[in-house]
Amino acid sequence: MKVDVQSLGTFNQLAHEGAKQATQSMSQMTGIDATVDVTKISLVDRADIGEELGDDTFVGVQFGFEGALGGETVLVFDEISSEKIVEALPGATADPEMAQSSVKEIGNIMMSGFIDGWADYLETAIEHTPPEYIERTGANVLPKAPDASGSDQVFVFRSEVNWLGESVCFYIYMLPEYESLVTLMENHADAGDGAIPVEKLEVFNQMTRKGSEKAAENVEMMTGIQTESEVSQISFCPIEDVPKQIGNDTYVGTVVEFTGTPSGFLLVLFDEASAVTIAEALMPMDPSGDGLTQEHEAAIEELGNIMTSGFVDGWANVLQQSVDHTPPRLVHDMGRAIVDPLAAQLGQHQQHAFIIDSQMKTDEVEFTSEIHALPNEAELREALDKLQVERADQTEANAEEIF
Amino acid sequence: MAEVLIADDSEFMRNLLREILEEDHTIVGEVENGVEAVEVFKEQEPDLVMMDIVMPIRDGIEATDEIKTAAPGANVIMCTSVGQEEKMKEAVKAGADGYITKPFQKPSVMEAIQDVVPS
Repeated sequence: MKVDVQSLGTFNQLAHEGAKQATQSMSQMTGIDATVDVTKISLVDRADIGEELGDDTFVGVQFGFEGALGGETVLVFDEISSEKIVEALPGATADPEMAQSSVKEIGNIMMSGFIDGWADYLETAIEHTPPEYIERTGANVLPKAPDASGSDQVFVFRSEVNWLGESVCFYIYMLPEYESLVTLMENHADAGDGAIPVEKLEVFNQMTRKGSEKAAENVEMMTGIQTESEVSQISFCPIEDVPKQIGNDTYVGTVVEFTGTPSGFLLVLFDEASAVTIAEALMPMDPSGDGLTQEHEAAIEELGNIMTSGFVDGWANVLQQSVDHTPPRLVHDMGRAIVDPLAAQLGQHQQHAFIIDSQMKTDEVEFTSEIHALPNEAELREALDKLQVERADQTEANAEEIF
Repeated sequence: MAEVLIADDSEFMRNLLREILEEDHTIVGEVENGVEAVEVFKEQEPDLVMMDIVMPIRDGIEATDEIKTAAPGANVIMCTSVGQEEKMKEAVKAGADGYITKPFQKPSVMEAIQDVVPS
């Protein structure tokens, strides 16, 4: 099966428009001013869905849908957002049952708006079940992804909606049935140059997971801190939305430009506290000052270099070619400020971007790290075209066999 | 005790290699790119060059090629984070005598040196 970049873009746009429609419905009912920050479609391991929700408690309104497209969708609020919405509704009440009913109904109205756009575009009806109110922690608030025959990976649409002037947000997740979505995308695909075999996208995602595991191994070997690769996914969104994915938190890390097929950029980012922790674990002696010193930065630079290689070497070995990269450039800034110039550079040649994301963390000490790859979209398609699926597990090269 | 030149753009990695090596070997120079590596090699004629691959100005494979062309008997161990088969083949073609991937630990470094410059 093949999907093309144009249909991925169209489907992502549909989800984005649906989220905007849902947000407008909420604004009309509550007077809360909100905007859809970003919508992306991701190919992700079933077990990793909703990992970004952490351990917080969420309220959700969930329902199933069926027709030309089948699956599950859920509107997810954190507890504070849910309370604020209830307070903002006409006839607000402190009665918990009534509050729950309010959330359920607003969720119903919002999500109907979300689904309607899909039905209109597909010129068909999409039926949905009555809404179900749920209150759970982290990823448990999300429904189980529908079964996909022979694949552990699923497509997920995720929109993040932010309230203007408030530090709260909510999310819309749509988990379509794999077969029905892929069939729809295939039916809308232009089988020309832009087509991507879905199976190869999945294999590439698996390679990325192995790359992330290798990067985590490298961190562990250098620092002695047991590190695990947590999430690995390929997402797709308009190029202008790429910086929003990284957010406004301050990061320390490295950026490299890689060349080959594909070319692009690779970022290894640590939050400031993690950067200090991990750099000190690398240093053979105590640092000369508090906070992030030049010694810390030198250690981060080298760690970024080694993690970058761990991440991209697998691609090169499977594709039987070399992927060169520039020496790492140290960055210390807000996430969006780091990514903006890279997205602008890529945006000269493409309207949409694939983003390859991995996260790693450890329970031992305060440490999280993110790896983001931004490949040239046309070259990634070329690489996927060349990818021999049967070589997918040959990510490691053995120097002793060559020397 | 071999005379060793360290070529790596990372100060952190140069320090780490120096700490590993200086007990058993003499460090004759530390450089940050391939151009400097070739220059210092020609001046010092060390027994061994520990050569990074990804460096600014000139990469380690080009520098190895130049060193090996000028002095075919020179010993060069690539000491790099790059674990790509194609790069390893390029290093062999340039004349590299060994290949260590970062992150490494002291025993693997010492073993690679012993293979190339037996004491």
